[in-house]
Order: sequence, then structure tokens, then C-alpha cells
Amino acid sequence: MAQPKEIFVRLDRCMGCHSCELACAVEHSQSKSLYSAISEKPTPQSRVYVEWVAPDNRLPVLCRHCEDAPCMHACICGAISRTEERVVMTNADKCIGCWTCVMVCPYGVIGRHLEEHKAYRCDRCPDLEIPACVSSCPTKALVYQAVDEFSKDVRKVASSEMLSGEGG
Amino acid sequence: MANNEDRYVIIGASAAGMAAAEAIRQSDSTGVITVLSEEPVQPYFRPMIPFLISGKKSAADMTLIGQGPYSGTGIDVKLNSRAEGIDTKNQTVMVQGGDLVPYDKLLIATGSRPYIPPEIAGTEAEGVFALRTLTDASAAAGRAAEADHVVMLGGGLLNLKAAFALLERGLDVTLVVYSPEVLSQLMEPDDAVLIRDALNKAGLKIMTGCSATHILSQAGGVNGVLLDSGQEISCQMVCIGKGVFPNVNFLEQSDVQVDQGVVVDRFTACNAANVFAAGDVAVTFDPITSDKIVTGLWTNAVEMGRCAGYNMAGRTTEYTGTFGILNATQVADEPFVSMGIVHTSGTDYETHVFSTRNTYRKLVFSEDGERLVGVVFIGDISHAGLYRYVIRERMPVANIKTFIINHTLHYGHFLLL
Repeated sequence: MAQPKEIFVRLDRCMGCHSCELACAVEHSQSKSLYSAISEKPTPQSRVYVEWVAPDNRLPVLCRHCEDAPCMHACICGAISRTEERVVMTNADKCIGCWTCVMVCPYGVIGRHLEEHKAYRCDRCPDLEIPACVSSCPTKALVYQAVDEFSKDVRKVASSEMLSGEGG
Repeated sequence: MANNEDRYVIIGASAAGMAAAEAIRQSDSTGVITVLSEEPVQPYFRPMIPFLISGKKSAADMTLIGQGPYSGTGIDVKLNSRAEGIDTKNQTVMVQGGDLVPYDKLLIATGSRPYIPPEIAGTEAEGVFALRTLTDASAAAGRAAEADHVVMLGGGLLNLKAAFALLERGLDVTLVVYSPEVLSQLMEPDDAVLIRDALNKAGLKIMTGCSATHILSQAGGVNGVLLDSGQEISCQMVCIGKGVFPNVNFLEQSDVQVDQGVVVDRFTACNAANVFAAGDVAVTFDPITSDKIVTGLWTNAVEMGRCAGYNMAGRTTEYTGTFGILNATQVADEPFVSMGIVHTSGTDYETHVFSTRNTYRKLVFSEDGERLVGVVFIGDISHAGLYRYVIRERMPVANIKTFIINHTLHYGHFLLL
């Protein structure tokens, strides 16, 4: 069976432009258009967070859909489950807004939608072939690949760097 | 790995028991898993029962099997099957009615039951509830339909949630709290100011520093509560929320070691061979203080139950303990998180407190200031999980302390600092 794709972050590429946040919020709006999304209620929220670390590091943080997802086991109402695609999904209809998932997520990537009183997080854009954050990234800092493909690419880059280092 | 003939018996079909059943099924696809439940209904998410009182959810909305991570198959839940004793020599469980259920591996996950203070007279009257089960909540909802005024004894989270459910139904609710402030187990009085304001605004009447001595009743059940001050409050319903204690009575005749709760080692095993325990019934420990504790929290019970399940199925897994305080919730539109060590009066912990009109936070560090040991967030609880992680892993905080104190910590700090 082919490994499911995941969203990887290439830390050296993120410029901190926040395009991913915007694209994420728009994709999770009703209209899916930036112009109408701005005035929508409930306010569309981004599920990816571009953080900054001094002196000059940026990185997008988003749900890792953990293999051993603490949020899923901690949830006191059964609102969080794993889909066949291995995506950890919060069912907004079931969520009671107790924030236990927020308290146990070690990445801090579960948001609280205050207007709806529901928890939300990355759903890997089930309607899209490539998640909105990944397609919107101008520097390709976000990559949507299976683990084996991604690590193969990393190895390729590393070995070519080593080779070029040896040569000169 | 466990062989395919193994018979796993689990006593208790709530958080710890069902999480264990799920973990066993993950590790052993053919073992026979039997869960004995004393309740007459299929397993459900117990923390949701206040919604039955408010009427916001039905019992069907609280069903556990098939929801969240509970998708394992071949887990046989036997209802109305209270365990009355265990024989660890012959490896059997005695079930009400006299049946003997043999086991190869046994999990004690009988949870806890409400503490009813013996010094309060009249607690057996009709209309007095200690909310624990779905059955209790249904009965309370029925009584609430005919009541105008409810007195709640105890200012803990269970009672606050129930109080809100009753307020939502339009009833008058009075909370009688012995401590100087509500939620005294989860925070100090000064920490609770915002929550108290929100509770007052929501219309909850709160009386602190007093307790009930008598519950008064007549033919139709409860008609009042007499306080230690001599004051009498008329009401048609009383809810007692004075904490819980482990369900260990059925172990009296067995050789399983009990000290408040069932004593287990770091791998959730009891002193008797092939017997494990998890959840509210088990004595666990706080990883920060190493204190022995019994907790009454769904989230803790699930974590410990999963660990026990893996150990029962032969996947040796160490249980790493849990904070005695580990609560997140929202009362009266005020979200809060309280975890780790938060009671700091009269101690030498380094504490940092920040308060605004609508947020409050308290960060508690070790005496030398090098470790975070506890957190209270009220109003803004974002990224709370990161702080839990810092506490639990006993991370040295020198290079992230400013972010912790300012509540600006994010995952990038772990990765790039």
C-alpha cells in the first residue's frame, strides 16, 4: 500500500510571508474567495500558524496528525477520530468546546473558534488534491509528499551537496 | 506477543476499561476481550452527562463505541454484570448472579463513586442526586422538570457543570461551598476571580464558607437544606458534588493490595499475577512531586487504561504518571486550564501572575526557577498543551522562560532555540 501523503516543512525556505495562513482561511470559508471570506460569519480561520523565532527564523506550524494522537485519546466526547487517509479529524458537530484537546496538544496547533465554540485544526483539505497552504507557498517551503518520497528527496539533496563539496 | 487463546477480562466499561480494550485489540487481533459493566446501558462518554440535564444532547449522542478512537471490533461488553469479587488463584471473576468469568489477564477499571458526606443528614431523600452515571443524570433531568430551585453542595467542576445545565433550563440554582471560593481544588481564591464574576453574571447564587448539615424532606421528596449557619434554604432538588473515591469494595476478600485505590507498579500491574488496574480506581503518581494520587479525570483514565491494555497484551509500556490537576474546560463562557502545581500560598515556588480585565494567568516555577511546575490560564488558554509538555518533560526553561511568562511560547521555540 502506498504511504499516505503528509505536509512537510522545509525550514530553510520559509520567508514568513503568511501566504499559507491566508490560503488556509480562504479554503475553510464558505465562499472560498478571499474577498467574500473577509466578511463571512463565522469568521474563517487559518489552521496553519507562521511563527517567528529570533533572530531570523520563521516556520509554519500545523497539525502533525500524530500517529499516537494525544488529542484523540483525551477528547471527552469522541469528537476526534482518524480517517482512512490517516488524518486526525475533529467533528465540529460533536465538539462541545471543552478545550481538553488544546490542553494536551504538544504542538499548540488546535485553535478555538470563539464564535462557534468549537475546536478546529488542519484537515489536510479533503476537497483538494493538494492542500491550500502547500499550493499557495511561493518558496515551496511546504511540501505535500509521502514520507518515503520526501526522505528520498532529502537524501538526494544531501548526497549531491556532499559530492559537490568533495569535488571542490 | 500474546497468543491467540488469551482471555482478557476488564471490569468496568468507562474510560480506562474501554481504552484498555481498544489498546488490547490493537496489539492482539484474536484474543477474547470481555468487558463487564455494572451499568444497564452501553458505554458512553461520562463527562457529557450534564448535557442530558440541560437537554442539549440525548443519551444517543454520548455513545462511546464507534466514536473517536473506539472503533475496535470483537469487544464483548456485558451489561448489568457487576463484579462481586475476584479469585486470583483460580483466575476468575465472580459476577452478580453467581457466574464465574475466567481470565488470563484481568484489568480492574471499576472507577470511582461519589463521596456522600456522612455528616449531612437526610441524603437518601428523593430528589437528592450525586451525578455519576447516565441513569443518575436521567433521573436528575426528570426531577429538574418539576423543580424551581436547586441547591448544589460542593464547588467543584462537576457541580459547576451541572449547575449550568440547570440554569440553562431556567431553574434557580444556589451553590453551597465550604471552601472560601469555588474550584478550590483547581486554583486558589485569587486565581478564581474572573470565573467567580462570570458565574455571578450568569445568575448562579454562590454561598462560600458554609456547608449543609441537613437535607430536609417531606412526602414529595426534598423540600429544603439546613446550613451550619442555621439558615434554611427551600428547594426541590439537591446535587452533591463532594468528590469521588475508588470503587474497591469488591476486592475486600481478595489478595489484591489496596491503599485508598488499587496499588500498581510503573507498568500498571497489581501485586497479584496477571491482574492490572487503571483509571480512577488505581493509585497513580504525580511525575513532578512523585506524590501518590488518585485522580478522577477522564483524560487520565484513558491514558492509563491504554497503557494497561498494552501491558496486558504483552507490549511492555511504562506508565509515566499524571498531574493531579489537569483540567481544561469552559464555565460561564470563561475558558480555563489548570495543571500541575497551582496552590502556591505559603510556598517558595517562583510565581508570575498577570491579570487583565478579561484574562488571567499564573505561571509557577520551581524554587530555583529552572523548571515550570504549574500553570493557570483563564480567558486565553491558547497553546496550553505546550506548557503541559514543558511541565511534564521537566524541561530546563532558561532559554524559553520569557516566552513562558509572557504566554508567547510556540512550537518554534522548541525546534529552533
